[in-house]
Amino acid sequence: MESDTQRIALGLRQRDVAVLETLVEQYQYRLVRYLVSLLGRRDGVDDFVQETWLRVLERGGSYDGHSRFEPWLFRVARNIALDAMRKRPTFSLDSKEEDGVRSSPASGEPSPYTLAARTQDAERLAHSLQTLEPVYREALVLRFQEELSLQEISAIVGAPVSTVASRIYRGLATLRPQFEGDTA
Amino acid sequence: MNTDHHDTFQRMIDESLAGVILAEKEQSLREHLSTCARCKEYLSASNRVIAGLSGFSFEVNPTLNARVLAALRLHAEQGRGILARDAGTMRQHGVRFKNWAAFALALSMSFAGSALVYQVATRLAVPMYFDNAQVQAGVLVFWLLPSFCSALWLLAAPGENRGIA
Repeated sequence: MESDTQRIALGLRQRDVAVLETLVEQYQYRLVRYLVSLLGRRDGVDDFVQETWLRVLERGGSYDGHSRFEPWLFRVARNIALDAMRKRPTFSLDSKEEDGVRSSPASGEPSPYTLAARTQDAERLAHSLQTLEPVYREALVLRFQEELSLQEISAIVGAPVSTVASRIYRGLATLRPQFEGDTA
Repeated sequence: MNTDHHDTFQRMIDESLAGVILAEKEQSLREHLSTCARCKEYLSASNRVIAGLSGFSFEVNPTLNARVLAALRLHAEQGRGILARDAGTMRQHGVRFKNWAAFALALSMSFAGSALVYQVATRLAVPMYFDNAQVQAGVLVFWLLPSFCSALWLLAAPGENRGIA
């Protein structure tokens, strides 16, 4: 893995477009999925995706290749999304939580989770996920969809590991009642 | 079993799912789960949440990749252009600086050398029967003017070494 990440780091330092093309192909879907979980909406995500890759091109030299690429990529995406939220209050993620992430409900349009649900369990979760505090949703997605470690998530969200863990517990606690007492 | 006891194990289940449980706790949890229906139910519901999270598949705009790649290529190209322009400007600035430095050095050497030559010439003037005006004219024509012209030539060198031209 080290050699892969080192190769990516070298390519980014050299602003090698071929390396970036490979990364786009490899990580695009996961980037979209992460941004949807962060924003709680689908519209506008494509712009953030493009901006994220351009930022990767510009600041790729700061990726050292000693750790996995995707946490670094998600951190870049998160910073871009949060900056945009702060500049555009109508698209705000203001939060009661300490790091300021809260989705604004999409007006009248179906939730991205409802549209994206492909299994019965996912359909049952769709509404709760949409209304879940974004910091919990983000922690759950990074842990269970992206399969990142708590340390990696901690580096992305800029919060201590213990905070990340409690977000995961609280997120699970919010969603779990959907399946409790269910023998299916 | 009291509720606190279940809470403790359910907390362990959360820790296990988050990947932060200690090995000895994990063992104790496994033993507990083999006998406790309530905590097993808790684990099962948690696992279904996790499975449910994997049941979403987002549509990616089919043109998004092409759009991103086009933007990347354009920016990379612009970046290279800016870098090349900056490097050219810096190189040009470097050449100008060198030329001015050479000019300043040549000019100072020209005056210092002229002063020295004038001193030597005045000492030789007496045995060689030259007067002061002839010595001054000699130094001016044969030393000061040629060295000053050389300094100017350095500054106005042609091609890449050109300074003021």
